[in-house]
Amino acid sequence: MKDIISLFFAYARTGLKTRFQYKLDSVISTFAVFFREAAGIIAMYLALLKFDTINNWNIDELLFLFSLIFITYGIFIVFFMALRDFSDWIKHGVFDRVMLRPRGLLTQLVLCGADWLAAFGHGTLGIILFIISANRVGIEWNFGMAVYYIVVVISGVLIQGAVFLFFSAISFYVVETNSLKEIFYWNMRKFAIYPLSIYNKFIQSILIFVVPFAFVNYFPAQFFLRKADMAAYPEWMMYISPIVGVGLYALAYAFWRFSLRYYKSAGN
Amino acid sequence: MSTYLQFAVIKFRNKMAYRFDYLLGILNTLLSFVVYWSIYKALYGGASEVDGVTFSMVTTNFIISLGLSSAFHKNEMFLQDKIKQGTIANELLKPVNFKLRMLFEDVGEGAFNVAFNFLPTVVIAAFFANLSAPSSILNVLLCLVSVVLGYIVLWQISFIVQSWAFWLFNVWGLITIKNVFVNILAGAYIPMWFMPEWLRNVIQFTPFDSIYFTPVQLYLGELQGWEILINFARQLLWIVILYVIGEFCWRRGIKKLVVQGG
Repeated sequence: MKDIISLFFAYARTGLKTRFQYKLDSVISTFAVFFREAAGIIAMYLALLKFDTINNWNIDELLFLFSLIFITYGIFIVFFMALRDFSDWIKHGVFDRVMLRPRGLLTQLVLCGADWLAAFGHGTLGIILFIISANRVGIEWNFGMAVYYIVVVISGVLIQGAVFLFFSAISFYVVETNSLKEIFYWNMRKFAIYPLSIYNKFIQSILIFVVPFAFVNYFPAQFFLRKADMAAYPEWMMYISPIVGVGLYALAYAFWRFSLRYYKSAGN
Repeated sequence: MSTYLQFAVIKFRNKMAYRFDYLLGILNTLLSFVVYWSIYKALYGGASEVDGVTFSMVTTNFIISLGLSSAFHKNEMFLQDKIKQGTIANELLKPVNFKLRMLFEDVGEGAFNVAFNFLPTVVIAAFFANLSAPSSILNVLLCLVSVVLGYIVLWQISFIVQSWAFWLFNVWGLITIKNVFVNILAGAYIPMWFMPEWLRNVIQFTPFDSIYFTPVQLYLGELQGWEILINFARQLLWIVILYVIGEFCWRRGIKKLVVQGG
């Protein structure tokens, strides 16, 4: 374990050094990611100056909801970037190199690549949103609440990690999975940012059962906020994010292990 | 002129080769639209109109502004890549105006996307989204003309930021920031009607509302008589102003350009 942690820091140090070689550029690019992600929020803020609430969510409650998706993504991308770009790893034969090293395959993949630019951009945005909203949405923060918040953040990271682990496993069979990711991750994420209840039943079902983004932000936020629109869903859904996270990740891991047998090198 | 038209045609044909990307592109545009459509459906909460703006006007606004912003998406690292790789030297030696060539290639790509990404999206959206019919055939034609002018405004803004690659190490960040400004202030993420008063007053003095909002207004028949002329004049004025700024950056940049090896 100690070995793994030191490995992570070694990778992080080189990664940060490479990324922040050009300081001004890195600062501008990080801010650009931050600003790009904030665009939808700014638009929502402006719209709510006119409309006040959306499905009874006011702007502070929305910011709290948004914070979860950005914080989880910020952490997720530190550990799962290699899986995000995994089809490229296979295509260019980089995965062969990983296989020759004396550590677990997934351990290496999780530790080695971090998209620091996205991590800082999304992460700071999430943290700022959390700081702005946490005390203005009527949550009585105590030890239990704080622990549960951390637990749902970890669950959110695991859920998104599981989705990418599935795609990586599929890359063993078909190599090119960018379109799958585009449809099932990036597009679904566009939907997931906003309250689930504004969508029609079909989109809601996808976000609950297929790519369970609803358990990354909507249901955990409902646990803290108890908005009226929760009445449309079974109450226990507010509590099961950790189970969904761990369960889905375990499932994805099993599928990955199984698929690994079918790996054929694309290199030469 | 026909030389440049060829650039547009070639780009148009190139785009046709990637069938799957193209289907995916329609899906992307459609889903972005569905997100905003759902948001405003919830905001309206069944009300037929807010401040005299009907829900179908909002829907139409989003399909035009969001749809076109998606269709007009292009590779904005083009100039930087040419500069970084030094291939810009070869481009400048060719007997064509590099800037015009770039414009026509982008127009070719944009035209392809409007025909095969934007229009299919509109057709699919029309099944569920209750779009406003155009107020007349004339309005559709006026709208089309202003879309072209709006595209040129958008293109010039992009070109200006791209040309900073002559001085900066990497313009990706600035391009991304520029796109956020354009998408919000041009009304792709929030209809112009619902912008706070002070912001609309500011936007009046910028080129942003002449990109998508003028076409939207023309399509809906919101502009009458003189107003139509004034809006076209504003689009043309911005094209001229931005052209002058772009040309200034470009000339200074070319003078400064040093290509290493090649």
